[in-house]
Amino acid sequence: MFIKGSGACSECGTALRRSNFRLQLFEDPYIEKEIDIRKMILKDFNKKEEDFTSLKDYNDYLEMVESIIYNLTNNIDVESTKKQIEFYKKDNKDLIKKNKSKLSKDEEYLEMLIQQEKQESEVQRQLLQEDEARQKNMKLKNKETLIDELMFSEMSAADIMASHRELTKVTDTSSTLPKKATTEFSTGIKMGVQDTYIPLSKVETGELYKYEPVEVFMCGPKFLSEEELAILGYLNHVRGASNPDRGGGYRSVMACQRALQDSYCGLYYFPDSGAAS
Amino acid sequence: MKINVDGLLVYFPYDYIYPEQYMYMLELKKTLDAKGHCALEMPSGTGKTVSLLALIVAYMRANPNDVTKLIYCSRTVPELEKVVEELKSLMVYYEKELKEKPNILGLALSSRKNLCIHSQVSLERDGKIVDARCHSLTASHVRAQHKHNQDIPVCGFFENFDAHGREEPLPAGIYGLDELKDYCREKGYCPYFMARYAITHANVVVYSYYYLLDPKIAEQVSNGLSKKSVVVFDEAHNIDNVCIESLSVKINRRILDKCQQNLESLSKLINRIKDTDAERLKHEYQRLVEGLREASVARETDVILSNPVVPDEILQEAVPGNIRNAEHFVSFMKRFLEYMKTRLRVQHVVSEIPPSFLKDCAQKVCIDRKPLRFCSERLRSLLRTLELTDIQDFSALILVSNFATLVSTYTKGFILIIEPFDDRTPTISNPILSFSCLDASIAIKPVFDRFQTVVITSGTLSPLDMYPKILDFRPVTMAMFTMTLARTCICPMIVSKGNDQVAMTSKFESREDPAVIRNYGNLLVELSAVVPDGVVCFFTSYIYMESTVASWYEQGIIDQVQKHKLLFIETQDAAETSLALLNYQKACNNGRGAVLLSVARGKVSEGIDFDHHYGRCVIMFGVPYVYTQSKILKARLEYLRDQFQIRENDFLTFDAMRHAAQCVGRALRGKTDYGIMVFADKRFARADKRGKLPRWIQEHLKDGLCNLSTDEAIQVAKRFLRQMAQPFHREDQLGLSLLTLEQLESEEMQKKLEQKMQYV
Repeated sequence: MFIKGSGACSECGTALRRSNFRLQLFEDPYIEKEIDIRKMILKDFNKKEEDFTSLKDYNDYLEMVESIIYNLTNNIDVESTKKQIEFYKKDNKDLIKKNKSKLSKDEEYLEMLIQQEKQESEVQRQLLQEDEARQKNMKLKNKETLIDELMFSEMSAADIMASHRELTKVTDTSSTLPKKATTEFSTGIKMGVQDTYIPLSKVETGELYKYEPVEVFMCGPKFLSEEELAILGYLNHVRGASNPDRGGGYRSVMACQRALQDSYCGLYYFPDSGAAS
Repeated sequence: MKINVDGLLVYFPYDYIYPEQYMYMLELKKTLDAKGHCALEMPSGTGKTVSLLALIVAYMRANPNDVTKLIYCSRTVPELEKVVEELKSLMVYYEKELKEKPNILGLALSSRKNLCIHSQVSLERDGKIVDARCHSLTASHVRAQHKHNQDIPVCGFFENFDAHGREEPLPAGIYGLDELKDYCREKGYCPYFMARYAITHANVVVYSYYYLLDPKIAEQVSNGLSKKSVVVFDEAHNIDNVCIESLSVKINRRILDKCQQNLESLSKLINRIKDTDAERLKHEYQRLVEGLREASVARETDVILSNPVVPDEILQEAVPGNIRNAEHFVSFMKRFLEYMKTRLRVQHVVSEIPPSFLKDCAQKVCIDRKPLRFCSERLRSLLRTLELTDIQDFSALILVSNFATLVSTYTKGFILIIEPFDDRTPTISNPILSFSCLDASIAIKPVFDRFQTVVITSGTLSPLDMYPKILDFRPVTMAMFTMTLARTCICPMIVSKGNDQVAMTSKFESREDPAVIRNYGNLLVELSAVVPDGVVCFFTSYIYMESTVASWYEQGIIDQVQKHKLLFIETQDAAETSLALLNYQKACNNGRGAVLLSVARGKVSEGIDFDHHYGRCVIMFGVPYVYTQSKILKARLEYLRDQFQIRENDFLTFDAMRHAAQCVGRALRGKTDYGIMVFADKRFARADKRGKLPRWIQEHLKDGLCNLSTDEAIQVAKRFLRQMAQPFHREDQLGLSLLTLEQLESEEMQKKLEQKMQYV
């Protein structure tokens, strides 16, 4: 049937291709079919969580995808579902292309962990080998020195043995594995692993700031402006500003204003009526 | 008597006290003051339990604002009962001294199986069945149906408890399992739920390890316990294994097949409900959309399904959209199941870390990490919505969903190992996927974080510094106490060679050597001739025991042993073993004498005491190393090396020696007791092994006893037994190993104690 690579089914006449046949991977043919469809659908429906503004939208999207797959596998409303897919494809052409090669955050994270594990085990193996070799060397060396000493030294054999035993004890304890190599900076950021770009959080753009003069409700007589204070002679009753004062930014108007505000504030307030005129 | 422990008045229910008990209390008090954790070792039979209870209860009464609760965790039900008995006698003493009942509520909590008083359910033997039947009578939807239709049975005791039990708290007093049942029978309440409810306001709670360490149970039972509690883990020498077991999952083909059936019946059910009562599913769906965690809705009784530690974010976040719909979820599970099946179809051993499993899963069946994490929560919600009563049937599916959640939650400290066959039977295909926890500190971390003081104590915790390392905590005090003895009543010795000077060892290369086996046999024969009553022998494994006993039979050693004593043997069958034990005790009682052959790490070595004449001599044949070829163990060793800088050999030796110490410690259960401990392997004499024995054994293991041949050992044993056979009275102990109040308070004694205090 497949001499030419494709042919019609001998029973129903559907066109079949050899390249579309493969070994069954799962025991349940239903699952096999579903996963086929799923892989096809997910090629187009490849939005990531980051593409949505809220979690709820993302979840709704996931459910929609799931329903499409469910419908297709169970042959429910196949026509309308296919139409829906077409619509989606048209609407999201750019995004699909953009996301094609992008990994989701979770995938990235897993990838990073696997990499890290690989690195670490490599390093550990090396360290271990080195450590073993070193210990072996040390033992050999110790033995040699012991024999040398026994041959040439003046001390009694027992003394040499005792001192030697102490020596080996010290070296034995010191040859534990080196501490874990540092894999992260003190801030907790991993060293040398390339997951380091942190996506900028979306900046919420609100309305532009507009200045509005503050309105103070004093419940008292109106304030006088600075000029009025000078004209009406209020300033005569406060201490004039000396030169050093002026250098520090003090003007006699300030003291005058403060005193007046203090005394005016709340003058029209009558507790029994509860209202100000 | 009333003792002054570092400024705290402690009521001690006995007239005499051991010096080490006093020191133990001192250390404990320090820890409580510092609000930190501690690890304490004190030999078995020196009254650990009563010292713990007396001190902590006194502390609680003196500082009611600092410590509000004592949570005492033990391993088995008999041990629980023992603790409750001690607590009762302490309360009796309080009452006598204070002339009024102390206002303290203490109770023991156990499973439904041990607490149920329902006329039919309580007849069941299997704990799982009791749980399931209880659930079928008390689930909220069953009770709701009962309101409409009186024919649907509910549990009267629970109904009564639900209606009135909560308003009327348990009166102060100490309730063991039986007292609790009696009280509740009288009132008509359900003891199990009464106890569950009462632990929140009880002063002393006694229950099993699993209620705190197994995250699936702990979440339900121990959630509301106050931070100002003191947690005591007694007999904690195996605590790391308990932690690891509680987070490990094993899945084989049979479980997956069952899971398949579960899924099929689930989808059938969903279809049926869709036709009849679509409203219900819609309601659930709505709830999931809104991200409400159904725990808020769940009622006490419904919480029967286990769920592994779910990180907080899951509890707050909404279930992902692709498993929100019930049908979608079922098909999701089907896909995951098919994936698992393909994984189990391996031909060679696979070992991988969770991230690479997840990656492969995403590639093969398009399942992301996120929905996997919600798997067990989602299943829980679905099962509840479907109002299933026979939840036990779905255990396979629950297990797989738990696995899914665990594997996607933890990226570190776990490993997945898939073995196509058992190592010992390489021809029979029996694929098994083990998801195993490598880090004991993961399960116990919440306990250390939550509670103010955690006390880890046992008769054998040596070497002490290993436990803080593998459990990853910082103790404020670590101390070992020896046994002060008026006469040396333990006689440890290391027998390293037989009469023919052939070294005795269970080393792998020479364990099949007939000379070694014969020497072991001769040792047993000669010891059984001189030791009265009971002799207990421990082998390193069942296989080793079998082969050795077979050779002994051929060499005629069995016959020789039987001239002196009857022979009993432990098997893997629990019923058979308990029968053997019963007859062993009978033989010891009537003077015929008996030898029990058992296995280190077995049931006998962990839970059975051989006090007095039941165990005059313990022989340890070989060093009880764990089976080192297991893939899981190898992975764990590697992890310990990389993460905690513990060398493989150190851990293996540590593990072997703690089991050896457990085994030989079985013989000595008090100061009037005496026993011989024979370590029959030349490797025990090495410093790295000898140094890891508990201090109270090491102290008596003189250099002269470390390299004996069989006949020398017999001489030592004879001399020791002759000494021990002399009459021994309480007066001999007084002032040395047993103190009255005056003696304790005397200046001389205080000085002596101070010197003795041994810190690690």
